[in-house]
Amino acid sequence: MQIVALGVAGTMESSDIIVRIEPNDGGGIELSIESTVMQQYGKQIDRVIRKTLSDLGVESATVAVVDKGALDCTIAARVSCAAFRAAQSTDYVWNGGVKQCQAD
Amino acid sequence: MLEMGTGAPLKGARLNRVREFLAVRGLRMGDDAEYTVCLFDEREELVGTGSLSANVLKYIAVAEDVQGEGACAKIVSELVSFAYRQGRAHLFVFTKPQNEKQFRALGFYPIVSTEEAMLLENDRRGLSTFLNSLPRGNGGVVGAAVVNCNPFTLGHAYLLETAAGMVDWLHVFVLSENRSHFDAQERYLLVREGTKRLKNVFVHRSADYLISSATFPTYFMKESADSAAINADLDILLFAERIAPALNITKRFVGTEPFCAVTRAYNERMKAVLPKYGIELVEIERKDGISASEVRRLMAAGDMEGVRRLVPECTYEYLYGGR
Repeated sequence: MQIVALGVAGTMESSDIIVRIEPNDGGGIELSIESTVMQQYGKQIDRVIRKTLSDLGVESATVAVVDKGALDCTIAARVSCAAFRAAQSTDYVWNGGVKQCQAD
Repeated sequence: MLEMGTGAPLKGARLNRVREFLAVRGLRMGDDAEYTVCLFDEREELVGTGSLSANVLKYIAVAEDVQGEGACAKIVSELVSFAYRQGRAHLFVFTKPQNEKQFRALGFYPIVSTEEAMLLENDRRGLSTFLNSLPRGNGGVVGAAVVNCNPFTLGHAYLLETAAGMVDWLHVFVLSENRSHFDAQERYLLVREGTKRLKNVFVHRSADYLISSATFPTYFMKESADSAAINADLDILLFAERIAPALNITKRFVGTEPFCAVTRAYNERMKAVLPKYGIELVEIERKDGISASEVRRLMAAGDMEGVRRLVPECTYEYLYGGR
């Protein structure tokens, strides 16, 4: 999945996370995390975000998140949503997971 | 539970309530709020507000009794979402320094602060990435000029040529703010074209870090601004504390300003502040009183010959080249 624009999803309210994804011209995944539970769950949040991006086939993006204690499923959902927006793609399947993304 | 209301921009009685709410908390609301968020409690009392102006979150305040209930996060979240929907990715917060911790928790990082005001941005490495991206010379005396060039005139050409002759390297920052007659890209390209034979000059886009809506909003509200209270200190400190040291700049060049009170007050303030940081403000006498506003006036009047006398070849070509 190619990131071509600014894509955002989520909020800064308690138990949510706001995810901002922008193009990073072939520079890999550049991730910055701000979280109320950084000490406890920083590594886990980092892992969930990278895993979600890699499952979507996003290889290059600048990603900034502000986490307010979101659960892993929320994090994954917000990241996916922001990525689809940033890729200007509607190639998703509700309720059946994400379609296999072709590497193009 | 707090109810949210918004206005783009807010008007009438609700705007007056917001103004009063801010005034009580020592904040004066300007006319530049494009989008305003209001929070109300169950008695429909206003208990929190915040606004967006260009890419800057400002006029943010929350009533004492609802603090710590996520009211600030709610306001900031809504403003940030609105800005992102408009495609504005690089955002700033203008607030009091004592609110730093609160905004850090919302993903904003401080870039400069005075005793009264602090500027934060939503990109941890925003300013340093900008500074690292600027090409620079090796050693010697380094100067800087910040110009709008709306459009590039013989007066600007003279200022930059004179400045370039007084230093080993000159950094020219062309304002990136799109609030002028000519857009940022055309102004930038004309300055580059017009200075290309000066081999010691680097022309940069100012991004949001020099004379922008974030650092110096009054500059873009010249008509309504009180020149005694121009609030240029954030802009001047950002230059003196962060930008100048990164490029070893020890001279800042300006043209003498006979017309605009805001620019004149800005220059005066720089003259007072910059020497404390080892930077000299060098004023260069304006050539034959040429001004870009005069050029725009002549253009509007259709006086091509008049314009030709005030602008370099590249600007004239750009304006009338197709004819």
